[in-house]
Amino acid sequence: MKPVIHITWEYSPYVVGALSQELGRILPPLAKTIPLVLVVKGDADGVSVIDGIKTYKVGQSVRTSPHVLIYSHVLNLDLVRGASTAIYDAGGASLLHSHDWLSSLAGVYLALHFAIPLVISVYSTEITRAHAITSLLSMGIYDVERYCFQRAEALVVASEEMKRHLTKDYSVDAGKVSVLKGTHDNLLGFYRRWVR
Amino acid sequence: MRVLMISWEYPPHVVGGLGRHVFHLSKTLVAKGINVKVITFTDGSSPAEDRMNGVEVVRVNPYSLRYPDFISWIHGLNMLMVERAASMDDFDIIHVHDWLTAPSGIAVKHITRRPLIATIHSTETGRRGGLRNDHERHIHELEWLLSYEAWGIICCSHYMLREVSTNLGCPRDKIAVIPNGYEQACLGSPAPLNRRNYAEDSEKIVLYVGRLVHEKGPHLLVEAASKLRRWDLKYLIVGDGAMRPYLVDMTRRLGVADKVYFLGHVPDGELSALYHRASVAVFPSLYEPFGIVALEAMGAGAPVIVSGVGGLDEIVQHGHNGLKFIPGSSDSLAYNLNWMMSDGALRERCIRNARQTLGRFSWGAAADDTINVYKRVLGEYEGGAWKPTF
Repeated sequence: MKPVIHITWEYSPYVVGALSQELGRILPPLAKTIPLVLVVKGDADGVSVIDGIKTYKVGQSVRTSPHVLIYSHVLNLDLVRGASTAIYDAGGASLLHSHDWLSSLAGVYLALHFAIPLVISVYSTEITRAHAITSLLSMGIYDVERYCFQRAEALVVASEEMKRHLTKDYSVDAGKVSVLKGTHDNLLGFYRRWVR
Repeated sequence: MRVLMISWEYPPHVVGGLGRHVFHLSKTLVAKGINVKVITFTDGSSPAEDRMNGVEVVRVNPYSLRYPDFISWIHGLNMLMVERAASMDDFDIIHVHDWLTAPSGIAVKHITRRPLIATIHSTETGRRGGLRNDHERHIHELEWLLSYEAWGIICCSHYMLREVSTNLGCPRDKIAVIPNGYEQACLGSPAPLNRRNYAEDSEKIVLYVGRLVHEKGPHLLVEAASKLRRWDLKYLIVGDGAMRPYLVDMTRRLGVADKVYFLGHVPDGELSALYHRASVAVFPSLYEPFGIVALEAMGAGAPVIVSGVGGLDEIVQHGHNGLKFIPGSSDSLAYNLNWMMSDGALRERCIRNARQTLGRFSWGAAADDTINVYKRVLGEYEGGAWKPTF
């Protein structure tokens, strides 16, 4: 069975916010059931096993970015480097799963080139974070989010409210948004469409 | 051999020398039997798919998204270029130009496991004379990343080789120097021109062609004009840029406003005619990776005076095919300008020898050298283990 490749910009010990803790809770038990690979930002490029998961860390190539939109573009270049290596090492992947908009572009690039289905977990959006799209920077982030959401095969959210928000504000087809409580059992069931 | 060329500018969307370079190189490579596909920019006014001189051109439109600044715009353009590359036929090698298409080239390299070649036309440090803010530092770091990720680097002059190897820490054995080509026909035939629209019959024309930005040194020519005080000279400034209001004010301040005429951008035919009518063409750059304008002037039979900097320094031999002045010195420029305008034998010698100089710069030779770089890199790639595994 080819692995599910998770792409994220944070995972313990590299902790920025709650995302790394959420993934730290769900992914290790999931890795005991299906082959799982993690691609994550780190201090330098390298492959190791963390919490029983084969992990491809990618170092940050470009240190200076004027703002978060530009940062996300170059971060995803690093994530593409790590995820491409992971895909070639495994001889392919059954599914790509990106977490949050910051690491979604890498998932989109890889899904398009390798024809692998892409799932994006959406924890928040520029609209929920900034409350309103009033600056050019917010517009730029919103447009990248929208670009990624529309190219994903499925989106995962934690609440019906977020699902309504994505369909209303990002024109996402409601049929491709799944509301999942954050447990590895739920995720495993969700993966059955692609992972057998 | 199949080449995926990625460039942010390509006709009809040409911003500077890079677009012309990619156009001439691509069509000459095709003429030599190389399969070239170009991914480039469109604003919607040119077709998304096109074939020009045997080159397959596909264009992406970044205006479907919004951006807070130019660097974000460039990253958005590259994002769409990576997407477009996914639906194209296979290729053997990827060739990008400058930091502007570095992100797409690097992403496609890792995804497809095909070798990446980069032509570095100039660097941010060179263009800005230093790195003073996060935008400039970001571009510099992208340039470093490109020079690191590329299997081979092409520069247009030995000056640029030194700059890339020192500023970007790139090993010299990765870098090949391939001068740009020159085509007599690139500016087209001279358009009919009434000389009296530009200068009095008694005035000789001193021509400047270039963007009006500090690195091109137009202020040095205005300073030299005020120091020279030769009322038989008329200075025609072709080109536009952020320095224009400053330069116009400078001509008033220095008392040469009636001798310096700002023409802005002019069509190629008019520019060709101006080169033919010019008594001398002056290129006072403080930074110039190559200097194609000097070749255009030589081709039109105008004697040239250039600053001894960058690629210009390598094209011109002082007193043989033109004159060189000390970079940044308007005194030195004024001295050499006076010499050129006063010495008929020198002018004739420079014009004659300049025609021979042009023979060193052809797109055919540039394409041959580029193919040799492709072959060397593909040879190393074939002998290595870094390839797609499925």
